[in-house]
Amino acid sequence: MSHNLDRYHRQMLLPAIGEAGQKKLLNSKVLVLGCGALGTVIANMLGRAGVGHLVIVDRDFIEMTNLQRQVLFDEDDVRDGIPKAEAAKQKLAKINSQIKITAVVDDVNHTNIEKLAQGCDVIVDGVDNFETRFIANDAAVKLGIPYVYGGAVGTVGMTYAILPHTEFGNSAWEQAGRATPCLRCIFEQAPPPGMNPTCDTAGVLGPAVSIISNFQVTETIKILTGNWDAVRDRLLSIDIWDNDIRQFKVARAYDVGECTCCKKRDFEFIDGKFSSSTTTLCGRNAVQMTQKLGNGEKLNFNDIAKRLEAHGTVKANKFMLRAEIVDNGEPYELTLFTDGRAIVKGTKIANVAKSIYAKYIGG
Amino acid sequence: MIYFDNAATSFPKAPTVQKTMVKFLEEDAANPGRAGHRMAVRAEEMIDAVRLKLTRLFEGVSHERMIFTLNGTDALNMGIKGLIQGVWDNGTTPHIITTVLEHNSVSRPLQAMADRKSIELTRVDCDDQGFVDPASIHAAIKPNTRMVVMTHCSNVLGTIQDITAIGQITREHELLFFVDAAQTAGVVQISIKKMNIDLLAFPGHKSLLGPTGTGGLYVGERCPEPQQMNPWREGGTGGDSATPTQPNLFPYYFEGGTPNTVGIAGLGAGIDWVLEHDMASTLAHEQMLVQTLIDRLADDERFTLYGPRDASKRVGTVVLNVEGYEPSDVGSILDDSFEIAVRPGLHCAPYIHRRLGTFPAGSVRVSPGAFNTLEEMNTLLSALDEIAG
Repeated sequence: MSHNLDRYHRQMLLPAIGEAGQKKLLNSKVLVLGCGALGTVIANMLGRAGVGHLVIVDRDFIEMTNLQRQVLFDEDDVRDGIPKAEAAKQKLAKINSQIKITAVVDDVNHTNIEKLAQGCDVIVDGVDNFETRFIANDAAVKLGIPYVYGGAVGTVGMTYAILPHTEFGNSAWEQAGRATPCLRCIFEQAPPPGMNPTCDTAGVLGPAVSIISNFQVTETIKILTGNWDAVRDRLLSIDIWDNDIRQFKVARAYDVGECTCCKKRDFEFIDGKFSSSTTTLCGRNAVQMTQKLGNGEKLNFNDIAKRLEAHGTVKANKFMLRAEIVDNGEPYELTLFTDGRAIVKGTKIANVAKSIYAKYIGG
Repeated sequence: MIYFDNAATSFPKAPTVQKTMVKFLEEDAANPGRAGHRMAVRAEEMIDAVRLKLTRLFEGVSHERMIFTLNGTDALNMGIKGLIQGVWDNGTTPHIITTVLEHNSVSRPLQAMADRKSIELTRVDCDDQGFVDPASIHAAIKPNTRMVVMTHCSNVLGTIQDITAIGQITREHELLFFVDAAQTAGVVQISIKKMNIDLLAFPGHKSLLGPTGTGGLYVGERCPEPQQMNPWREGGTGGDSATPTQPNLFPYYFEGGTPNTVGIAGLGAGIDWVLEHDMASTLAHEQMLVQTLIDRLADDERFTLYGPRDASKRVGTVVLNVEGYEPSDVGSILDDSFEIAVRPGLHCAPYIHRRLGTFPAGSVRVSPGAFNTLEEMNTLLSALDEIAG
């Protein structure tokens, strides 16, 4: 595809980008994991900036409650029931017809991440759960692809750019001395399900996500244009309500740690060691999900019940918690057990069950 | 973990099973062949020895007619499709009789063929306790009836069927009698001769205590010649390589491809254990455990039990429901909070669950095996009591 560079004039005026940088962007392929609040901003800005090929992956369909913060979608999309990835592709094609956009309507998991990431120059994180982030982190380290983590809930967001230590230590960023610790160097394990608030239980302010995702886009552009020295090597945390902005030095995490992922190169998440599995219960409109918690870890039903009470009827005894939830007009019954496994009633589709779990329990 | 899911597959296996498999892997794990090198011959001899053990165990006539399969389902498909798509595929629609007790491995292939109009199918009802009256099999016979395919024992209710009486009826009406012994092989005495069984399908990994990936189909002498049946798979037979199609010989006609030698070696050890420990006493032990559960829960309003109260009419299988809980909840809680394995749901037998009124949620199946103890059963009963609140 021949590109008209004129449209990128204002961006090329920046000395760190220039025509050479713009050409690099146009020759790049970026994997955008998730196309919700973070993912739409990321895809929108990268598409406008002229990233040559965007691969957008998301399993969900657009809902009315998404429009408050998910910038590429409108009411027509809700009415038409379009998958997020597909709607994003359609919008972006109108915004920039010169780039290639691939929409993948699927769950991102340990079985497909390598195939999705293969050949990409950056993986940008717009997912809604930590398990997928750790899977993406494994893929980034294994395949030697920079990975830009980002997440936001409430008014708080966090982002961090991983320039992974690669197998042979010969990547451009390593040669520039700019490799950074991976996600597992910093957080060894994904938090157990139900531990953290989610956007669907605790709420989220649109700008919090938008700000974090624009930081992610900025780091992505630096990476794609080879501006290694400009890539932030700290973990950035922002509370936009309290105007509290912090940066954490994390470089030592690689040096002092014995990271399973980037030091031992044991890719436990890609190998499925901690992966949740789903199975449709025979004869039932229900999906059972099995989470793998750490040894003997048990969920705290009290905390989870408190969070879910605003969303429906919650009953719990010491063995299980049952919540009746209406999500996007559809009734679901979510039964949670102490080891993190759950039965989601109201669907036979694994991806729907996964979304309900991610939204209301998290993990 | 306390394991009460022996109706799905037995656990643990007989202690000698693993050792035998390891030894076979270390010493003899060659591809069997009658005219090969010494290791191939030893592998072949081992397979033949297990074939003979199985034939004697089930009182069959000749061990060549004992075909190794991957599991019960494989054996049932091999027999059902082999006959119906083979010899009976001649323009007239054969009528097949089956029952509401069947596992999907019987009901699905039959229903699929009925939907395609390859067969006419009658599904005979059972009584409220889960027994098929031989008279209702008799009443279902039509001029074009060719075969009765049914289970020896319900995998949901554990009810042992009157195979002898039904075998008598099928013989009198010159029908083939195909028995699914998934829940009985290795724990209830089966006699192909005395029970007038023409085809017997069984898994090796349940009460025979062998590893998964083993099973068998016995094809009796009243069945057509191999070549008149449709081979389930075709391929290498370790001999007779010159013939352009499957050799017309039992068991090779049905056994194309390298067999699961390691598994069969383990199965042989499982059978030895079963015979040494006397099937009648193993059955009595399992029935005692089931009776303990029934006696404790049958009159407790918080529980619903299905099937007969007299455990001597059952194998070691009982199903129940707990007031206020879905079966899947009970299964998850037992696993999660008590480390007890049971099997909730429909148990791949939707028709009997419809009959019991437990469709679609199903029930919780507790299936003790040879190695479960009374103490374990009491632990389960305390857990159920605590869950029911």
